[in-house]
Amino acid sequence: MYRIERDRSRFREIVRGRIRHDLRKYLSSTELLGRRGDRTVSIPVPQIELPRFRFGDNSKQGVGQGPGKEGQPVDGDAQDGEGAGGAGENPGKHILEVDVELEELAEMLGEELELPHIEPRGDRLLSADGGRYTSVRSTGPKSLRHFRRTYKNALRRTIASGDWDPAKPRVVPVREDERMRWRKENPRPESSAVIFHIMDVSGSMGREQKDIVRIKAFWIDTWLRSQYDNLEVVYIVHDAVAKVVDQETFFHLRESGGTKISSAYELCLEQIQQRFRPEDWNIYPFHYSDGDNWSARDTERCVGVLRDEILPRVNQFCYGQVKSAYGSGQFKKDLDSSLDDCERLVTANVDDREGIAEAIRTFLGKGR
Amino acid sequence: MVHLENLNPELRPIAVEIEAIAKGAGLDFYEVVFKGYEARDVNGLAAYGGFPVRYASWRFGMEYERLEKGYSWGLSKIYELVINNDPTYAYLVRSNSLLEQKLVIAHVFGHADFFKHNVWFSPTERRMVDVMEAHAARIRRYVEAVGQEEVERFLDLVLALDNLTDPFLPLREARAGAPKRESRNLSDRARAAFEAATAERIRRDPAPSAYSGPSRPPTFDVLGFLAEAADLAPWQRDVVRIVRAEAYYFMPQRMTKIMNEGWASFWHSRIMTRAVAGPDEIVDFADCHSGATMAQPGQLNPYKMGIELFRHAERSGADLFHLRAVHNDTSFIDAVIDEDFAHRHSLYVYGKNPRTGRVEVVDRDWRKVKEQLLTSLAWGGLPQIELVDADHEGKGELLLRHRHDGRDLQLDSAAKTLTQLHELWGRPTHLLTLEEGNGRLLRADADGVSVFETDESGRVAADDDEDASRRAS
Repeated sequence: MYRIERDRSRFREIVRGRIRHDLRKYLSSTELLGRRGDRTVSIPVPQIELPRFRFGDNSKQGVGQGPGKEGQPVDGDAQDGEGAGGAGENPGKHILEVDVELEELAEMLGEELELPHIEPRGDRLLSADGGRYTSVRSTGPKSLRHFRRTYKNALRRTIASGDWDPAKPRVVPVREDERMRWRKENPRPESSAVIFHIMDVSGSMGREQKDIVRIKAFWIDTWLRSQYDNLEVVYIVHDAVAKVVDQETFFHLRESGGTKISSAYELCLEQIQQRFRPEDWNIYPFHYSDGDNWSARDTERCVGVLRDEILPRVNQFCYGQVKSAYGSGQFKKDLDSSLDDCERLVTANVDDREGIAEAIRTFLGKGR
Repeated sequence: MVHLENLNPELRPIAVEIEAIAKGAGLDFYEVVFKGYEARDVNGLAAYGGFPVRYASWRFGMEYERLEKGYSWGLSKIYELVINNDPTYAYLVRSNSLLEQKLVIAHVFGHADFFKHNVWFSPTERRMVDVMEAHAARIRRYVEAVGQEEVERFLDLVLALDNLTDPFLPLREARAGAPKRESRNLSDRARAAFEAATAERIRRDPAPSAYSGPSRPPTFDVLGFLAEAADLAPWQRDVVRIVRAEAYYFMPQRMTKIMNEGWASFWHSRIMTRAVAGPDEIVDFADCHSGATMAQPGQLNPYKMGIELFRHAERSGADLFHLRAVHNDTSFIDAVIDEDFAHRHSLYVYGKNPRTGRVEVVDRDWRKVKEQLLTSLAWGGLPQIELVDADHEGKGELLLRHRHDGRDLQLDSAAKTLTQLHELWGRPTHLLTLEEGNGRLLRADADGVSVFETDESGRVAADDDEDASRRAS
């Protein structure tokens, strides 16, 4: 059946082309969120269907079978009633979802935004990837005994000791003859990275602002995942106090209250100090806020923590300011003016969804 | 003599026995060749419409992807595929249990008999396996000559139009020449009545179009018209002919799905319970059989519907072999469904309640049920679209008319399709249809698609185009 495989790969090629073509659209929509598995993203592709003259929505009458009085809902109501024995021409009923490897999606993103690949630091971490059984040694469990090598040794010893009788070719291996398979470890450098997604959830961050953060976080994760073998993500939310939360909470939390950004930066620093040694980890904090901090004094404190503690430890610190109706946007100005000598700090404005792609390019375009 | 390839040799005597029983019961078929395949290969064959060799198209790949997903998630499994061909090919999944294989073999003989004797299949190509292969070879040559992209693009264009056919044409043509008889077939009568009822609402251009070959307008065989009359390169013309030939080959299967599955299920059930299944197998058989013929609430299973129709006809003393020979789904349902049947099988008409958005039981009147079934199955379940004029307003433009039966077209898809037709024809194309009872004229030209409101006669309502038109795409 190689023919059908060829048609399938052509189909997948077309789908990829379509996704690549629509990438900008995905970059500003929430469509792909929640569709990510471990290694793949499942993308719905309704638009690949061939156009046809087909019946539309008001033809939903059909014939069914079963109990129920007139006016009663049909069981399994939501079914798109394909009436009358599937006679309808309706291939568009199930929207096809196509699994695309994360790796591939990241590659498309990289091409679209012209992102440079990251030169990881801290390749000291070695991973024992299991290794392969390519050598032998004389000790080890019996279950790993290499029969041929053991027999050879035994044969050699038997002949050398003059016990060999060609008429009765019996070879009895003793303990010294035994050889066990042994695996050779292949140490290879492993690069690890941790992302901190820090979000301001104070009252001024509305639904749209959070959606923008979600979309951005999705694509940043996708890209960095493709650059590192091992990626951890830490989610921090803050209003006047900061806390570490899980992914679910991060994206759905609705909070209100004041804003004390320093609380988040201090928590981030604490996490770094406790869990992620900069020698071993590539560290990427991303902070999203509408730029409305509580007080100038707190902003000063943020600048201090950033300059003295966080920036020396991280690859890059990104601050994305999402425009909101209430935010003053002062925080970005403050950061830019007091830390303009720090090249590890990257700030960007995101006015609306269309600005997401540009902000991602600003953040990831440095190749750090 | 049955042929088995790549199947457990244990099955041979069983297949021979079942064949003898089937023949003894009166079934008659071409030689049947059973071939065993792994499940994924059967999915591949199914994606190709049952043929091992088709031309290259991503559409088959998409279908394969869909089948494979359904299979790997355990949502769907294909037990068998039967191909209308002489010899009849039947592909069996090798992993079927012995009992499943027995059932499937009996089922296959039912299909094989139906293919050979149902009148709608009589004009079909019986050497289709070879023909498909030849089609594939020709298209491969065109790919070599003009390039993959070019052929694929054109093929997609034509495939979007492959349901613009006349389901009744092959039989009519086959009978042309034979002495004209009163049409006994209900479908023909129904269609004549339908045509009379939908009085000409179209202004016909009196000037005949330049083209006067077969399938000239008015015709439903739009593909046939395009194949002859469109201004195409020779390879393109051949591609249209290939797509058309394949569409006509598959059309009778679309028109007789309920009958065909019903007939095969009727016979597998009878053969298994009366002869083949041992006492130790009967429960497994019942389980397997009911899985296939299960009636799900809110849905109609063609296997279930079909088998019950044949059983009902048998109870009323009808000649089943005659019924399976002369009917298609529409005329069969018209002939068999009566009040008793609708009641016995709790049939109802459902529809969406516009107020609540729920799908509800709308009516249990058996006449309404029957009417609904007939409407949805008529014309192979496809929208009836006729080419009424190939020289619209004397400008060589195409005018199509959708014969509205209460069901609207999906307008944006129709607009895109019309654009494809425009690209193929080279001049603007028009489609008359109704949207929620209001007349619409879609026009596709180089600038895209415009939609106009029309009055009852199909004329564009307002003179001022700027006001009347809105861009659809």
